[in-house]
Amino acid sequence: MIEPLTYAVVGLAAVLCVAAVWYAARDRLIDDRLLVVAGLVEVGLVVLLVGGLLGLDHIGDTAEKATFIAYLVSLPVIPAGTAFLAIKEKSRWAMGSIAVGAFAVAVMAARLLQIWMSYG
Amino acid sequence: MAEPRPDRRALGGPGVLLVVVYGVLALAATGRSVLQISEYFDRAPLAYLLSAVAAVVYVLATWCLARGGRWVRVGVVACAVELAGVLVVGTASYVVPSAFPDKTVWSHFGQGYGFVPLVLPVLGLLWFRKVEHDAAAAERGDGLAPGPR
Repeated sequence: MIEPLTYAVVGLAAVLCVAAVWYAARDRLIDDRLLVVAGLVEVGLVVLLVGGLLGLDHIGDTAEKATFIAYLVSLPVIPAGTAFLAIKEKSRWAMGSIAVGAFAVAVMAARLLQIWMSYG
Repeated sequence: MAEPRPDRRALGGPGVLLVVVYGVLALAATGRSVLQISEYFDRAPLAYLLSAVAAVVYVLATWCLARGGRWVRVGVVACAVELAGVLVVGTASYVVPSAFPDKTVWSHFGQGYGFVPLVLPVLGLLWFRKVEHDAAAAERGDGLAPGPR
């Protein structure tokens, strides 16, 4: 379950990143459509957090396990935080921050998957 | 949050972007630091203590950027510490590599993080300076427009 879900999250985060850049370039502020995408990323990350914690035994090495947990816990904070800032601070810069946050989510989720896959 | 608008707003405009980049770096530094200290502290105590210090400073800088107001001064100090840290540790990691067997956020001038730790404090300092400048201009009454939002 972790694998397809993480792929989906990486894909959605990439969509969110591109969309936010597009919004910033067109000087558009956050709207429901973008919030839905951010919300989907967030839901995916929360499910991933629960699923990842339940499946921790899959990862043998303790250090890697700790890294995995650190990523799992950090990830959901990012889209929630950037969306909150974008609603509070209505500017194109806030859209840029959603893009940066989404990029970080995509990279971190990909790293998460890399650790998971290394244990077959 | 119905608090009065602080006179030195740091969050507006590019500040919000800085908050996010700082926030992500703070998360990454804290995560790595907790991990290093709890899992294998004995391997490189100096490097791991530095990681912890870096993490605390990044969290502090993020907070100062987000809050603005009287936190601007604290933020300037935090950014200055980061800049000094990345320069000193970056240089040291090349000169005495044996002291840094494992990576920290600051070693090799933040190479492991795309040199973001090297660039960020400079941007932070520039931003805080602009915030201070705008606030001073507003106090004098000649700064009607507090900069681009």
